[in-house]
Amino acid sequence: MILPIATIVQQVPLGAFLGLGLTLFIMGGVGVLIRRNPVVVFMCIELMLNSVNLILLSFARYLPSGGAGESPMNSAVSGQMMVIFVMAIAAAEVAVGLGIIMAIFRSRNEVDIDDMSLLKS
Amino acid sequence: MPDTGFGILSLLLAAPLVVAILIGLAPGKSHGAIRAIGIGGSGLIFLMSVIGLQGFDGSTHRFQFVESLPLIPQLGITYKLGMDGISYWLVLLTTLLTFLSLIFSVYVKERVRAYFALMLVLETAMLGVFLALDGILFYCFFEASLIPMALLIAVWGGSNRRKAAIKFFVYTFAASIFLLAGLIVMAIQLQQATGVLSFDILALQAAAAEGILWAAHPALQMTIFIAFAVAFAVKCPMFPVHTWLPDAHTEAPTAGSIILAGVLLKMGTYGFLRMGIPLFPEASLEAAPVINLLAVIGIIYGALVAARQVDVKKLVAYSSVAHMGFVMLGIFSFDSNGMIGGAYQQLNHGISTGGLFLLIGLLYERIHTRLFKDMGGLKAQMPVYAMLFLIMMLSSVGVPGLNGFVGEFLALMGSFQSALDGVVDMPIALPIIAATGVIFAAVYLLIMFQKVFYGPITNPMLSRLKDLKRWEVGLTMCFVALAFLGGILPNIFLKPMEASVDAVRRMAIEAPGPNKIKWNEPAPTAMANTGEVN
Amino acid sequence: MEAANYQAIYWVILLPLLGALFQTLVGKAMVQRSPGLGKLVSGGVAVGTVLAGFGIGLFHHLRLINDPGSVKAATITYFDWINLAQLHIPVELRFDALSSTMVLVITGIGGLIHIYATRYMAEDKDFTRFFAYLNLFVAMMLILVLGNNLALLFVGWEGVGVCSYLLIGFWHKDLANSRAANKAFITNRIGDVGLALGMFWLVALIGGNREVLGLTDARWLSYDVLIPAASQLLSQFPHETFWISLLLFVGAMGKSAQFPLYVWLPDAMAGPTPVSALIHAATMVTSGVVLLNRVSEIIALSPAAMSIIAGVGAITALLGAIMAWGQTDIKKVLAYSTVSQLGYMFIACGVGVFYAGMFHVVTHAFFKALLFLGSGSVIYAMAHNQDMRNYGGLGKKLKITYVIMGIGYLALAGLPFAFSGFWSKEAILGPAVNDTATLPLVGGLTVGAVAGWVGFLVAFMTAFYMTRMMCLTFGGKTERWREIEPAHHDDHGHDHGHAHGHAHDDDHGHEMDPAFFMTEEEAHAAAGHDDHHHHDLDKTHEPKEVPWLMWAPLIPMAIASFGLIGVWMYGDVWKAPHPHPFEGFLHSAEVVTAKNGKVEGGSALAPRNLEDHGDDHGKEEKKEKGVDTNTLVLVSALTFAGGVGLGLALYGRRLPASEGFDLSKWNPIQKAAGKQLYLDSALSGGSSKGVMGLASAFKVFDKGVIDGLLVEGPPKVVRAVGGLLTTLQSGFVRGYAALMQIGIIALVAYFAYVVSQRGGQ
Repeated sequence: MILPIATIVQQVPLGAFLGLGLTLFIMGGVGVLIRRNPVVVFMCIELMLNSVNLILLSFARYLPSGGAGESPMNSAVSGQMMVIFVMAIAAAEVAVGLGIIMAIFRSRNEVDIDDMSLLKS
Repeated sequence: MPDTGFGILSLLLAAPLVVAILIGLAPGKSHGAIRAIGIGGSGLIFLMSVIGLQGFDGSTHRFQFVESLPLIPQLGITYKLGMDGISYWLVLLTTLLTFLSLIFSVYVKERVRAYFALMLVLETAMLGVFLALDGILFYCFFEASLIPMALLIAVWGGSNRRKAAIKFFVYTFAASIFLLAGLIVMAIQLQQATGVLSFDILALQAAAAEGILWAAHPALQMTIFIAFAVAFAVKCPMFPVHTWLPDAHTEAPTAGSIILAGVLLKMGTYGFLRMGIPLFPEASLEAAPVINLLAVIGIIYGALVAARQVDVKKLVAYSSVAHMGFVMLGIFSFDSNGMIGGAYQQLNHGISTGGLFLLIGLLYERIHTRLFKDMGGLKAQMPVYAMLFLIMMLSSVGVPGLNGFVGEFLALMGSFQSALDGVVDMPIALPIIAATGVIFAAVYLLIMFQKVFYGPITNPMLSRLKDLKRWEVGLTMCFVALAFLGGILPNIFLKPMEASVDAVRRMAIEAPGPNKIKWNEPAPTAMANTGEVN
Repeated sequence: MEAANYQAIYWVILLPLLGALFQTLVGKAMVQRSPGLGKLVSGGVAVGTVLAGFGIGLFHHLRLINDPGSVKAATITYFDWINLAQLHIPVELRFDALSSTMVLVITGIGGLIHIYATRYMAEDKDFTRFFAYLNLFVAMMLILVLGNNLALLFVGWEGVGVCSYLLIGFWHKDLANSRAANKAFITNRIGDVGLALGMFWLVALIGGNREVLGLTDARWLSYDVLIPAASQLLSQFPHETFWISLLLFVGAMGKSAQFPLYVWLPDAMAGPTPVSALIHAATMVTSGVVLLNRVSEIIALSPAAMSIIAGVGAITALLGAIMAWGQTDIKKVLAYSTVSQLGYMFIACGVGVFYAGMFHVVTHAFFKALLFLGSGSVIYAMAHNQDMRNYGGLGKKLKITYVIMGIGYLALAGLPFAFSGFWSKEAILGPAVNDTATLPLVGGLTVGAVAGWVGFLVAFMTAFYMTRMMCLTFGGKTERWREIEPAHHDDHGHDHGHAHGHAHDDDHGHEMDPAFFMTEEEAHAAAGHDDHHHHDLDKTHEPKEVPWLMWAPLIPMAIASFGLIGVWMYGDVWKAPHPHPFEGFLHSAEVVTAKNGKVEGGSALAPRNLEDHGDDHGKEEKKEKGVDTNTLVLVSALTFAGGVGLGLALYGRRLPASEGFDLSKWNPIQKAAGKQLYLDSALSGGSSKGVMGLASAFKVFDKGVIDGLLVEGPPKVVRAVGGLLTTLQSGFVRGYAALMQIGIIALVAYFAYVVSQRGGQ
């Protein structure tokens, strides 16, 4: 039988989501640290953000759906709202960040982040 | 009294900004258009202030042209403007000096657009300080005036301008933080006393007059007064927090020096008159001996240090320290004559020192030096210039018939009387020593005049110098005419401020109670506004 | 007394003021366009305004004398100067005997000096500037004497100080002149501060007691309010009276060159000679006496203050006379003589005969202005050399000047009966030696009496040094300038500051903006105008009598110096020494004012002393005990004869070798006298060194301690700490990221720990 995807997901335990989220987050974090290409660093940051999104959503799934009289802060909606916020900010961040990278590339013809040390004392 | 909506004061406040925007929109790189807009605009603003404020009634201490608009009602912050006798002349002085210094500014050749725009923004900020009737609004304008001035120094200043600008900014900014903190504490005190959170100066004054403002925590009054006094004393500047002034004055462009001496320093003394004394009646009276002592030290110290300067602008800058000492001495005499003298001396210092800076600027444009060793013997070469300089110098010395005398005379007389009658608990020696300050004023100013004008010409460059041009003479004559007017018919200036200054005095020396000065009748606007919101 | 009758008196002040304005705005342009006509017109205007003022003054003076009213004083109010709740100072003039006398002296002598100056200054480039200043001075001096309140007096007081400053430094190319001008102004300011403080105290006193006095108007500085109120109040406060009187006297000391504030007056001779005559002899320096006359009722209440005034007067008179003896500069002799004579006037005030002080002001104004102008003529004739050692035998060359100056000399030396100086001096010294009101000093004599006897000593010395001056200048047969070789450059006493400091241009690569600078040709053309020939005194010089414009104005002064004026004013001294007619005239107004006020009794205004207010019997008795008039006249005659005799004996034929150019041959006392007994270097040199030293110390303190340590110290600390921290900034971005991550992990761990401790709450 083909179960609806929602049902399948419901059967996956919370720990699995959290584990996946943690794995992705660590991958992102390590990537940020070890890669020297700022574009890749960006992608790693996106990875971290999305891992957090995943965790938020999975928690939201296990919260009550927020009926009348319940504060929206404690309901599933809050986690989903948070995700949308994060995505919006991530988009903005990418726009600005890529802009900065482009500007740096234009002026220096290379984008190795280890060479970007003008702020060094 | 209309208490809402916009009136002449808001118009006055907005006009320089409008002109600044127009300057921003002026076509292309045409300096002519920018100058025309700037000078014409500031001239119109001056006319507007003269004509628009004609309805001012000097016979009452009540605020006039009051405008009120709640800005952040939750925090008790109101956009409230108003004018009384103390601010009346300072507003006119501001618009006039901005106009005159912009005329001089045709000598500015670099970044003309930004320069003119900044000067006009500065004008708005200065007017705001004198017109604001809300503590936070006052604070905002107080700080806002720093930025354009610091930029003027940093961009168009002399050789050491960066350091001077930073020093000026950090020094005065750091001091005014105390003002903000004090304001907040005071507003909370008001809330505890009356249940209304408000920064409205009138409401605060009314509470202070009734003696309820500090009733809950009497010890707090002195603490907060000190916080206010630090902010204002740095601005004045009083000894020993004066050292930003010589640097700022020396490095500032001429127009900046005129504004700095003419208006910016007055914010400090104005702050004392507007808030320092009426809001802290007991504390200000108690602190008066110390403040008078500092003022007297400033008078003597400033004069003596001035006598040893080798840079003409620095000399005049130190003379400002001495002159502002007289202002403070007058204000903190708590004597009827003395306080009016102090308040009047504010204007006089603006005119005489402003005039001197203008004249020094005119010479600087020619010979590009401010050092005495490069001058000398100019009396033969530039007789008209010498005569104008002489008159402004004598005004600064305080020769009767010119404006400087009246203020100094009244301030010293008041201080002497106050010490004699024990209004302020200070030794009689203090005003006597202060009086000897006028001797030292003669010393350093005559030294200056001698070094610039007497003797043979030693700098060969000077021997080919032409005298002032017509328009420069005309510009300087504005200052000269005002100096004579203020000396011969001082009543024109004294009468409108008498009632307001006397109200401030009575705030300090009369016992608090319901019969003390009424500040916000007939319409207690501030209370009503903020009351409804909460 | 109708004030309206005297309404027009303000023209006396206004005319010279307009004259000054005319010189500045119109005259200068005219002279630039056509020097000859321009100087004629502007000189004419300058003289005209002052002489017109004299006419107006005379008209009002006669009206005052013939006024049928009993109060011979009019107060005319024009407009408010300062009108505050606690202080009301209107611009009001007081026309009474004192001010009208001074108006006549100022405009009369001033007008004559203006005439003289039109010729004396004719070649000067700054002709109009000179007359602008001089006219302004006359106006200010008139404000001083005519003002009806102390504040207006103060306006004139400082105003004449400014004019004096400007005129001393008139020849501005010589820095020495500028220094003398600064010295004069600053020394005067010391006095001004005293006067101002005295005024403040009076205001505080009267203002504080306004209910007691029943005053409604705040015109507390106006004489008609001030004098009665102050004398009523102060009689209860001897301490305050003393200090107020002393402060007012300090003001008078500054302006009237009393010891120790006299130091500026000799230096003030750097100004042109007409200035010395008008300002530093006839008018400004006597304003201290005018002030003391105005406030005589207050001062008279304090015997201690009176003693100080008399004592200072005596010291000044003596010092001036000693120093005059050591001078070689003809103008300096007269300057010290002025100091000495001013001392007399203060002796008069100190012993309570204020009117006699005024009397001496008037007579002295005439003969001293005469002497100064005469010396100016001599200097003019001698190519602006002022050193008497270069003169000699001029009596034959400058006959008119010689005769005229001779009259002035006799008046100053005090030839009995014939000359005015004798009468006014007698009017002072007579009461002084009989004085009993001031504090006792030695041997039963009071300070005033000692001052009187010192006065006689000074009279002897005056006759002596004036004889010396006349002999060295006009007497003898040797024409000493014949010994000067043409090449010899005498650096003594250049009256004219024509030393050109004109340096030739050499542009060291300066960018000269043509908008601001002249071309080289224009500069030369501009400088060329004042490049007129000026030759030094040498043996080729032939002194000629000065132009008539320079001796004619002296004739009225010479006439006035004759004793006739003294006789008229003094009445017959032998029969009725009291009251003095001049006293009666001078104080007619105040007597009535005093009656209107609180003081009862006749001549309370100029009390000889405190006990005998108008008590003639008491005075007669004292006269009998004291030195009688005949003896005094005899003593006077003896001092005159002795002084002149000694002078003639020493200097009659030649310049003694001990007073030549070789200073080492001088006798030490006279040498010291010539150097002001080293008082000047001690007083003004010392104080200026002290002040400037303090100023330097303050400057260092300001730069080092306040600015360096307190202001720039904290930022330095911040910078140092920041410097340490900057080493953390490696510039390795991934390092930062790692650090951040570690930090976040640590934080999370910490919070997790905290939460777990609380049991998951």
